[in-house]
Amino acid sequence: MIQRRPDWLAGYGLLSPAIIIMAVMMVTPLLAMVALSFWTQQGFELDRSFTLANYFALVEPSSEPTYWMGIPFPLTYPVPAILLIKSLAMSLAITLAVIALAYPMAYFLAFHVRGQKALWLVLLTIPFWTSYLLRVFAWKIMLGFNGAINSGLKSLGILTEPLSFLLYNPLAVMITLIHAWVAFAVLPIFVSLDKIDRSYLEAATDLGDSRLRRFLQVTLPLSAPGTIGAALLVFIPTVGDYVTPTLVGGPSGTMIGNLIQELFLKQNNAPLGAAVSITMMVTIAAIVTLFLWLIGFRRLRSRAR
Amino acid sequence: MRSSSRPFYIYAVLFMLFLYGPILLAPLFSVNDSIFATFPLKGFTLRHYAEMANNTGLLKALRNSLIVASASSIIATAVSVPAAIALTRYKLRGSGLIMTAMSAPLVVPSIIFGVALLIIILRFLDLELTLWTIGASHVFISIPFAMTVLMSRLEGFDKSLEEASRDLGEGAWMTFLRVTLPLAMSGIVSSLLLCFVTSFDEFVLAFFLSGTETTLPVYLFGQLRFPNKLPGMLALGTTILMFSTLIVILAEILRRRGVQSNSPGEV
Amino acid sequence: MQRIKFIDRMASGRIDRRTMLRQAGAFGVGLLVLPRLPQAAEVLTCLEWAGYDSPDYFKSYTAKHGGAPNFSIFSGEEDALAKVLAGFKADVMHPCNYSVNRFVNAKVAAEIDTTKLSNWKDVFPALQMASGVVMDGKVVMAPADWGNSSIAYRTDLVDPEYAKNESWSIFYDDKYAGKVCMLDNEIAITIGMMVGGEKYETAAVATGEKLAAAAKEWGTKVVKNSRFLWNDPSELQQALASGEVVAAYAWNDVYRNLKRENIPVAYAKPKEGYFTWFCGLTMLNTGKADPALAYDFIDAWLSPDTGKQLIEGSGYGHANMKSFEISDKQAITDMGITDPAEHMKQGTLLIQVSDAVQTEWNKAWGDLKALKQ
Repeated sequence: MIQRRPDWLAGYGLLSPAIIIMAVMMVTPLLAMVALSFWTQQGFELDRSFTLANYFALVEPSSEPTYWMGIPFPLTYPVPAILLIKSLAMSLAITLAVIALAYPMAYFLAFHVRGQKALWLVLLTIPFWTSYLLRVFAWKIMLGFNGAINSGLKSLGILTEPLSFLLYNPLAVMITLIHAWVAFAVLPIFVSLDKIDRSYLEAATDLGDSRLRRFLQVTLPLSAPGTIGAALLVFIPTVGDYVTPTLVGGPSGTMIGNLIQELFLKQNNAPLGAAVSITMMVTIAAIVTLFLWLIGFRRLRSRAR
Repeated sequence: MRSSSRPFYIYAVLFMLFLYGPILLAPLFSVNDSIFATFPLKGFTLRHYAEMANNTGLLKALRNSLIVASASSIIATAVSVPAAIALTRYKLRGSGLIMTAMSAPLVVPSIIFGVALLIIILRFLDLELTLWTIGASHVFISIPFAMTVLMSRLEGFDKSLEEASRDLGEGAWMTFLRVTLPLAMSGIVSSLLLCFVTSFDEFVLAFFLSGTETTLPVYLFGQLRFPNKLPGMLALGTTILMFSTLIVILAEILRRRGVQSNSPGEV
Repeated sequence: MQRIKFIDRMASGRIDRRTMLRQAGAFGVGLLVLPRLPQAAEVLTCLEWAGYDSPDYFKSYTAKHGGAPNFSIFSGEEDALAKVLAGFKADVMHPCNYSVNRFVNAKVAAEIDTTKLSNWKDVFPALQMASGVVMDGKVVMAPADWGNSSIAYRTDLVDPEYAKNESWSIFYDDKYAGKVCMLDNEIAITIGMMVGGEKYETAAVATGEKLAAAAKEWGTKVVKNSRFLWNDPSELQQALASGEVVAAYAWNDVYRNLKRENIPVAYAKPKEGYFTWFCGLTMLNTGKADPALAYDFIDAWLSPDTGKQLIEGSGYGHANMKSFEISDKQAITDMGITDPAEHMKQGTLLIQVSDAVQTEWNKAWGDLKALKQ
């Protein structure tokens, strides 16, 4: 009779390689970032004595506010705060647009496609696995001064002078990012729509609900988990994106990721860059937590009623 | 088709146009006989593909990418198989937490990992930047993908087969080799493919962690700034597009053979 | 390569147990499982400007060693320095007279032994002793190319009046908003101050309140008016060729290339003055390649043949006196000048500033770009 090892021991044993890799690759970088953010750059050297100066620099008040889009920022170094707010706002707009575009597509797939579901799904998946850089660059070709839109419209005789406002602005960044993420967002929404028990919908129809009412009261709430998941998967990575702004944004399309890169690689101030990174992560985490809490809160309230 | 489907159908077609329109510019301009990507088209040529095939820097980057993607997809899948078995076969305390922690790379912007790993490697460990450093970071970002695919596959099949094997007196290891592994094979293959594509296309980490040897996306990024190198890059993009399409279709066929579930959204 | 070096260090007892464990842990399982990846560590690694990695500029190196070095392209000296300080192991860098001090101060530049350069004797004596080439009595940069920074503009697309009164003020003129293109460099602020009447030498070293005020007044304007801020000359060239921009901060080669494409373009002599500079090659002490390779590369750059390529191909001057003897006479005439000392006097020579000043300017310029609306 062989003495069997306890299950949990074997279980954790099997898990350990993956956990060790994830811990080493994830926890140590974050700890290093935190440590670095408490140090100071002295010329070309690092001063490793503890200080909160980098964080203080991000919030140090100033009597002369810097105005950005008409909003006063009463800070001596307003750049990180402005870029963080700008990036969050851009990501929020991108997320809303992505969900608005992806939801009808997912709805179509779940309720209106019968036979060729798989074909549609593969078609949706292909662009997501083609080069991200190529997709970003495709937009530069689209929107450029001599790009596809301008030269196309010109050769059709619609334009005489190229439109110069297409590229190098936040809108170009947003269009590119919406395009990059929209197919990705369809999938989780589709899964949650597909899981809805059709008898609920029939019941709602039998009770005489209009199509809109049925959608708002049954379909939408039941598809919420997938929709929320999709929203978070789009929102979080886009806040820190810097490739797209670099290629299509120009200076006015700058986002917080560009600042982090610049602080590390151009302004040679890694500790400040680390402080900005940590602040960005904490802010994103706080927003996501708040958002999830609000949703959970609402649900609790509606149940109590 | 029901009459209410029509607007949705039109929408879906427009959606696909939006999705594919910009991407298909690459194949279009890659065979256009001009160095500028502008309309009207000048004429058909394959010279940009010939230029691409003669570009040693590009081929070197391609080779590096293939090495890194192969190595990192194999390692990521190899560590994910036991982990996925553990999470689906054993009732472990904290497994939900472990799964959440493992999906963290999906939700933390990669510029943070890129910068942090760079600092650790150079300032704390005093190592050099090589393909190793890129590969290691790719293992890390691939694991969540591998886990998702493998877990959905392992959850899908009948556990009674494993129990039967154990009841017949086979040890845990033999059960794994004779029962679990063959059943999970399609999941393993799609995990390998998925991790491969993830690594092959990864830019941010590779950008920060590459020394003199770069991967294809990093090389591509450097070249995109030169307008006269554009057509060659479009040719390259088209080639990648065709290969990834092949891989996706292959993965889909394999997955389909394995699981009789029509929810690829879990991938 | 890393592994061999590691084993070597361990074997020669230069590594303690802690370092060994640390490194072994870092390499981890992967090193044992995977085959060794091919590494080309012996190859020379050069940090170069975009376009300067052309094989025409180091033919004798390629002939001797059978292949080109590895290049890493940078768009400005600060990027390159940050990369080196972050641990990038380069052997040779291409700084300029106004930026070489950054590398010397950061202690990454090595002294050049000019006796190992066969072409050194033919370098213009004025350049051999120039500030930037020699620092604290040591040669830290082998001068190679010299040229100008001025305004290249489309004569068909800017106001004809402009040709009679060429000025840097075009970058700060709202009439040309979105039609001009500035270099992505903090010099944009300095030029603004010069348009405002300040002398270059005092403008370039402004700090504190003065810099902040200039950044606000001039910097904001030039960032706002620029179609984009260029990092790469070929990108600029295309924008000027298509008419996307009508005037730009440009080096000699952009003007020369456009002229050859028969595009109506002029290279201004603005009333505030144009800039002159000379650049060269600096050996870095961070490299892994044999220094002999670095010397061969630098020597190739100093050769008369490279000079001929530069003069005829790009319209830049070259440090080797003999290159002027073998170059096309018309190309030399087009360039307008043969003596570097005279050239430096005619324009405003870009100057070195201290590290503290440079850091402040980097930040000011970074902030300006980030705050564009």
